[in-house]
Amino acid sequence: MLAVCCQSAEELKSEQYFVEGYQLYTTNCSNCHQVDGKGMLNLYPPISGSQTLSDKALLACIIKNGMRDTILVNGRKFSRPMPPNAKLSDIEVAEIVTYVTVKWGKDSIYTKIEAVRSSLANCKKY
Amino acid sequence: MKLNTLLFNILYLTLLALGILNCNNSDNKLPILGERDWTKKTVDGKEVVDTIYNTIPSFSFVDQNGDTISEAFVKDKIYVTDFFFTTCPTICPVMKRQMIKVYHAYEGNPELKILSHSIDPEHDTPKVLKQYATDLGIQGNQWLFLTGQKEKIYEIGQKSYMVTAKKEQSAEGGYIHSGAFILVDKERHVRGMYDGTTEEGTQKLIADIQTLLSEYKK
Ligand code: HEC
Repeated sequence: MLAVCCQSAEELKSEQYFVEGYQLYTTNCSNCHQVDGKGMLNLYPPISGSQTLSDKALLACIIKNGMRDTILVNGRKFSRPMPPNAKLSDIEVAEIVTYVTVKWGKDSIYTKIEAVRSSLANCKKY
Repeated sequence: MKLNTLLFNILYLTLLALGILNCNNSDNKLPILGERDWTKKTVDGKEVVDTIYNTIPSFSFVDQNGDTISEAFVKDKIYVTDFFFTTCPTICPVMKRQMIKVYHAYEGNPELKILSHSIDPEHDTPKVLKQYATDLGIQGNQWLFLTGQKEKIYEIGQKSYMVTAKKEQSAEGGYIHSGAFILVDKERHVRGMYDGTTEEGTQKLIADIQTLLSEYKK
């Protein structure tokens, strides 16, 4: 009984994060990375299929602080800066991380706010 | 046998109908947009009223290859123009995705050019624009990315192409500007304005380019 109750509560939360994350992704990210996460030519890198999906701490930092680097994604080089999203709250970052990792990565469960908070405290500076 | 003839007739009639529709379409002229003025002039001793349409004036900008581009570049061509900047976080990526569709629909057509003006010329030097064009997969000179004197870019944007492009600190990325695609004919009159952030706007533009090109076919 207990197991059923808690598992479905977790599932419910994952679903909520996913749906919220989808909306946040649509407004904040899809203009560059596209709705399907495949990016845009050699201008904006793909998220689907990217190594970054397996590093949630890095994901949280990129979402919040943007990025200014030269990177290889799925074998292609990108070196255009990504603007920061300073106004996103920790829960919003967690929701976006949830959306992209569940949608295009191997995750099936939501990313917790606490995890995002500690990741954001240790971001690499560009 | 009979059925075959019938089918043939239906096909024939359909083609005929389509043909007629096509003719009608090519007579469907696009409007000339913008402010207009009237003058009176004398032709063969009679006074007639002449309409002066909004016409894109002469200009001089620099493209992604470092070449100077003036109105001479679009002589005997129709063109699509827009305003953007390479670091724009919001609508420009969407506009560029849509413009690529327009570009591919008429790729290699010598009668159509695309001129994208940067409204952030201090940052968007020819070198920056070259990289941007390359990353978009654009080669050759059908689609040019223009930079130049800031006041001139804003002036032509506001007065002639009728779009707002202003530096605005409070806006994201520091600029507010419209997401419009503007269609200009060979006489340098504006013939259509489209919402370059939507699929509908883009498809309408692609169709209207065809309509405008066929005006010159006769
Ligand atoms: C203005 C366009 C733009 C927007 C909006 C944008 N990005 Fe990016 N993003 C980029 C660019 C450009 C890079 C490459 C940065 C570099 O090379 O340093 C990038 C890199 C990334 C990367 C790392 C590389 C990869 O593909 O794995 C991730 C992950 C990412 N972005 C996710 C997001 C998410 C999530 C959002 C929404 C919160 C977002 N981006 C919004 C342009 C954008």
